Amino acid sequence: MSLAVLLSTMRVQMKQSFARSMFRFCLIANPILNTILLYEMYRSSGEENFMAYVVLGAGLMGLWSCICFSSAGDINRERYSGTLALIFAAPASFPAIILGKIIGNTLMSLLTLGISLVTAVVLYQIPLTLNSPLYFLLALAAAILTFVVISSVIACLLTLSRKTELYMNCIEIPIILLCGFVFPVSVLPGAVQVLSRALSPTYAVELLRMAVWGVEDPMMFWQKLGILLGITVLYAVLSALLYCKIDRRVRIAATLEVA
Amino acid sequence: MIRRFFDQSYLYHKGRRAAFEAEEFVLMQIGYPLLTLIFYCLIASYSFHTTNLTSWVIGNAFLLCTHACIFGLGNIFVGERYHGRLRSIIASPCAKLPLILASGIFPALFAVCASVCGFIVGAWVFGVDFSGVHLGFAALTILCAMASATCFGLFLSVFGLMSDSMHLVLNVVSYLMMIFTGAEFPLTQLPLSGRVIAQLMPLTKAIAAMNTLFGPEQGQFWTLLLAELATGAAYALLARAVFGFAERSARRNGRFDLF
Repeated sequence: MSLAVLLSTMRVQMKQSFARSMFRFCLIANPILNTILLYEMYRSSGEENFMAYVVLGAGLMGLWSCICFSSAGDINRERYSGTLALIFAAPASFPAIILGKIIGNTLMSLLTLGISLVTAVVLYQIPLTLNSPLYFLLALAAAILTFVVISSVIACLLTLSRKTELYMNCIEIPIILLCGFVFPVSVLPGAVQVLSRALSPTYAVELLRMAVWGVEDPMMFWQKLGILLGITVLYAVLSALLYCKIDRRVRIAATLEVA
Repeated sequence: MIRRFFDQSYLYHKGRRAAFEAEEFVLMQIGYPLLTLIFYCLIASYSFHTTNLTSWVIGNAFLLCTHACIFGLGNIFVGERYHGRLRSIIASPCAKLPLILASGIFPALFAVCASVCGFIVGAWVFGVDFSGVHLGFAALTILCAMASATCFGLFLSVFGLMSDSMHLVLNVVSYLMMIFTGAEFPLTQLPLSGRVIAQLMPLTKAIAAMNTLFGPEQGQFWTLLLAELATGAAYALLARAVFGFAERSARRNGRFDLF
């Protein structure tokens, strides 16, 4: 997998994504509007540090929306532009190109966290504290890794479908709900929590929130980080297997462009 | 004339759902909005520390129409341009108001279904008690609200003639509806300017009217309902006026898009 391919794909992807109005909405308007909405919902909650649910929640919702409406939809866009077969068959390797796109999108999407923070500070001057900044950076790096891997699994699955638009619309809220982006997972019924625990973003969000409040039990932090990385590795293996299966299937059936 | 109106509305509906299986279409129109309702009710239950979620179920059940009325209708002219029919519509000597209204019939019906499902799911999941509520008045409120939201969606759709960023416009509007209709938090939390904007939005009065049906004082019910209908009528007239302007401009300048 060539680094040059990865970097050039990331650069092109960032430019292409920003040119789309839906991505601009997810990247800029979504975190601003979500911060306003969540702040109004949490202002009477008795919460003293709005960083955990309002800023982080709005930022992560924006980040996930960017992933849903860009990383997941890019395959369909390539299909629509007539370039899917070309990048699939190119010697640069399809996974490298897709990974470059996903990393480019995910890195640019991190802007949502900053926009959410600025909105909260400028509009509401609310108390925001980050008690364990180093742990936060570590949790953020793990979160980025897991989001990149999840995006690649989704991108693989959507390679086979022409109904990408439907699916990318339908995965946005369920993941935000199940992974507890804006409220703790413990609010959900027990049976649903089992599902939440199988999703790696749940642990990423919990780690980020722990770092915001201040890590009082480092053992717990490392334990959750270990689980997060373990699940992420499982997703990565699944993504690789899926890619091999899909690669074989589309080469035999020759239906990549019509799925 | 009447037959052509309904034929036209059925054709619009067929065009919108052509790419999907029936169950996928229902999932998108009703299933996904219901998940959204559950999501916002869960945030409310956690942030407002309450188990009485009646007003959030009401607000979010009304907002379920956003998917059909705002996103379904808002993209009508974008779709017409994409399919190459925009020129025929602009050049045709037929009346444009029935043409615009015809496209709103099925989205309005789906919006009513989604809203009713929202109330049923809300009652089932969050224990909202309908026993003391006049069901006829409740149904009337839902119909008025959906008619108003449909007119608002038609008004937005006309901007598809002037903008190539309808995804951004419609998504921003859907968030504005969450913030300014009183569905997610009491409107008294907003500053004066926010409360004025709230009165200009569709659904605000319908949500307030439905809330009065659940409360002891119902004196304001009819006033609120009439105000909601007036808001919808104002948006329908505005849609006609803006469309007329766009049509004249397109004919005069020989351009079928204003952007």
